[in-house]
Amino acid sequence: MKKLLFAGTLLLVLSFFAGAQNTIENVQKVQRSNFSAIKEGTDVKGYYFFYISDKIDKKTNEYTLRIMDNNLKVLKDVKFQDSKNVAILESSFNGTDLVFLFYDEDAKTFEYQIYGADGKKKFVYTRQLTKKEKKYLEQTYLLINDDENTYKGLYPVDGLGFISNMPSREDKDYTFQIDFFSTEKQKQWSFTPTEGAKKFEGDYLGTFNGVVYMEVLKFGSRMDQNPESSIIGLSMETGKQIFEKPSDGKYRIYPASLSVINNGKAYIYGEYFNPNANIAKDKSLGFAFWGIDEKGNILTEKYCSWDLELGKYLNVSSKGKIEDFGFMYVHNILQTADGTIFAIGEGYKKVASALGIASKLLVRNSGLSTMKLKITDMILLKFDKDFNVKDAKIYDKNSNNIELSTGYEFVSTPYIGKLIKYYYGGFDYSYTQTNKDISSFSVCYSDYVRGKDYKGSTFNSISYNEGKVTTDKINTKSDATWSIVLPAKQGQVLIVDFFRKAKKVDPHFEKLN
Amino acid sequence: MEPGKKATAFLLLFILTKAAIAQLQPVYSFQKDDTILKRNYYQQSLKKKDSYLSSVTKENTADYKKIYDEQYELIKDLLTTTRSVTSPEAHGYLQSVLKKIVSANNELNGLDVRVVFSRDWWPNAYSIGDGTIMINAGLVIYLNNEAELAFVLCHELSHYYLKHSGKSIKKYIETLHSEEFQKELKRLSKEQYRVNQQLEKLAKSMVFDSRSHSRNNEAEADLQAFNFLKRTGYDCHAIISSLEILDRIDDSSLYRPLDIEQVFSFADYPFKKKWVQKESAIFSQLDENESPLSQKEKDSLKTHPDCSKRILTLNDSVQSIKTQGKRFLVDENLFDKLKKDFFIEMTEQCYRDDNLSRNLYYSLLMVQANENIPVAVYSVARCLNKIYENQKKHSLGEMISGEDRKYSTDYNLLLRTLSRLRLDEITAINYHFCKQYYEQVKGYPGFKDEIKKLQEQKNQ
Repeated sequence: MKKLLFAGTLLLVLSFFAGAQNTIENVQKVQRSNFSAIKEGTDVKGYYFFYISDKIDKKTNEYTLRIMDNNLKVLKDVKFQDSKNVAILESSFNGTDLVFLFYDEDAKTFEYQIYGADGKKKFVYTRQLTKKEKKYLEQTYLLINDDENTYKGLYPVDGLGFISNMPSREDKDYTFQIDFFSTEKQKQWSFTPTEGAKKFEGDYLGTFNGVVYMEVLKFGSRMDQNPESSIIGLSMETGKQIFEKPSDGKYRIYPASLSVINNGKAYIYGEYFNPNANIAKDKSLGFAFWGIDEKGNILTEKYCSWDLELGKYLNVSSKGKIEDFGFMYVHNILQTADGTIFAIGEGYKKVASALGIASKLLVRNSGLSTMKLKITDMILLKFDKDFNVKDAKIYDKNSNNIELSTGYEFVSTPYIGKLIKYYYGGFDYSYTQTNKDISSFSVCYSDYVRGKDYKGSTFNSISYNEGKVTTDKINTKSDATWSIVLPAKQGQVLIVDFFRKAKKVDPHFEKLN
Repeated sequence: MEPGKKATAFLLLFILTKAAIAQLQPVYSFQKDDTILKRNYYQQSLKKKDSYLSSVTKENTADYKKIYDEQYELIKDLLTTTRSVTSPEAHGYLQSVLKKIVSANNELNGLDVRVVFSRDWWPNAYSIGDGTIMINAGLVIYLNNEAELAFVLCHELSHYYLKHSGKSIKKYIETLHSEEFQKELKRLSKEQYRVNQQLEKLAKSMVFDSRSHSRNNEAEADLQAFNFLKRTGYDCHAIISSLEILDRIDDSSLYRPLDIEQVFSFADYPFKKKWVQKESAIFSQLDENESPLSQKEKDSLKTHPDCSKRILTLNDSVQSIKTQGKRFLVDENLFDKLKKDFFIEMTEQCYRDDNLSRNLYYSLLMVQANENIPVAVYSVARCLNKIYENQKKHSLGEMISGEDRKYSTDYNLLLRTLSRLRLDEITAINYHFCKQYYEQVKGYPGFKDEIKKLQEQKNQ
């Protein structure tokens, strides 16, 4: 301020006002994916804006990576020159350090750049991709261009480093690769399952007491429709496998994720099936919570059946289908400060596809299934600390459809749920945020409204605050060429509007109620 | 009693008894501006614009017009809204101080100037170049005496007297149209690579040049201001003290820092720690000198020389003045009154400008200091209601600032709280706040409307 005191000319006075805005002027070209939030778990810690700042020669660009805090104040501009085909795929913050994943399409490399708390580059980890691996990634991870960035393969490990989970290809085996990148020292390990199957699918479940928990499906062949499901534990220190256990207890479960709740205990949760059931085809019986230790021992088992437990609150068939809602995909589980556990889910169901049926009649091998997926409403389930269902409520939203490929008619619903999330990117759920003492949280999702007064996209929230649940909706359609809604500090969203004619990007925060 | 029932009881009590309450006279009356004077000033300013434009070289008319149009947008905003203060008392006082300066300096006689106070909160004073000189309320509240105000005025008059603004605009346009600059632009338009790097370099050199020119202007204006002031009879030591005030103004406050946990804590509704709880931050150890601009660049881009340098430059001249000047020549009591009034006026202006976080901050500072209670409490209630309304319709983002390292710690804590409050929490705070001061404020005009709004929020 004092620098501008006794300003002598108007030009200088004007420069003072310009500095007070977040608006970025003179933006020639920008894509939605140039902006993203930097998160630490569910907390938004900042944002980055990645853009080409100059052309150096035919093959090289100068890039600027602008890193901002969660109030959009610029913390650092990182400038560097690289191939013109470089993109940022992901970023994450682990409480002390920041990572950016760069992809160089020409060089076929993934580069993980780690920045310390002082803003200085600490380490760089490079992963070279084979031609086959690159092709496989293009059909999987790189295929999803998801503005809300719901699909992420880079997970923070508090103060220690980052875990990356990427599809991978080892010659003829289709698998996945887990990498750990330390932020304490230049140290990295990788884990890739290659034995005992021709195809592996792995989900990162979480980290607990120095163990990385993975859910692994093993397929005997690429067309195998009865995969084996198991839980694998890796040492965080070395990457060596500590245990591998079939996901069988009293019932067989298909783990969706891991949460550390009830005073620091780890729980794996997901839908459960009859023992020996085929989790890729059969109907699930309900929802299960397993307490698990660092050696993979199952300490507690709790099963909530669709008809007996959830049926008290919802109109659920014994096959797990909730009336008008369909099946439930659980996005997140969290425990509030008072011990109450909440599961946040979204509905989906298979319905006949007019397009699929018509194309089957007209073209023999159209590739489209006669069934399609309908993504339905949001759901909030409430449990006590012993996982007894205490309440369930469905929150309406408009449904949207996903046409399926041939063969998916007979795939089990939990498996379809993961496909919608990881393959089709079809859920409306965006993210859940909690405050520091977890006395409140907000579940955010997008929707589309065709109303009399408003027709367009909306951004919605279901918020829990000290026992009360409220909902809110922000109309995101504006005069802007395009807008994206990014997560922000708890209780807020960041709306980024790009105005092509005015060549400006206008980011502004709005609060959720 | 449950908080909800208590709220209803309090609101009912208010409605039932309001008829019986005699209307209290507010302790503060907002200054009534002379709108005819504002209009005349604006007309004079427009005439000046026409005369400027008719005198510029024809080939550059478009460029001059663009700059003057922007300049007049600002002047229009200042002289046609409540931003400028033309109330007889405040404006008359300022004209008296101006008269003291002009009558002592013949060269200023007949100078076409319009010197006006503004209700703007930021501590600044500026000469726009057409003769309009603004002195912000946010600066006046920190001044100790009339002599310091006179020096500020002398400094801005010097800018106008020395034609700094006109010269700067002329220099800028001449540089833009210079053969060398145009040749470089033409060359760059044909380049394919590293264009932005070179453009940035070119722009930087222009900015450095302009800032260095501006620094020279500041030094020249300081010296001229000293010459003007020494003839007035005002105490020239005010030059040093006012520059010292400016040097530490970012860390200054008229009131003790806001204790948000105290002002928003009530017996039935205590302050929640989660509203201000600190979060981990990226680059928490970032060296402030490693911001996108290097230290050297930051220094070079400074608009003004450091105040300490300015003091050093003028100190010998000030000390050489042997006659003891006066701190007040017009009216000490009125100066003190205006300083107090201006704090309330700028608080109100923040509200009118939809700068709700500043409005709330200043209002709460007054409440905390137990000063101007009726108007301050009313201002807080009204602001919280407006925050509620705008948060509900998702338009609050433009009305409250985000935390920033350049702000004071207490203001940042208020901003953090505002960013975390939920609708029902805003209502609860406002309700308990109004209840606490109800007896003192119940007769204040407008307060009952705010209570009604609160009641509507409770019923939702």
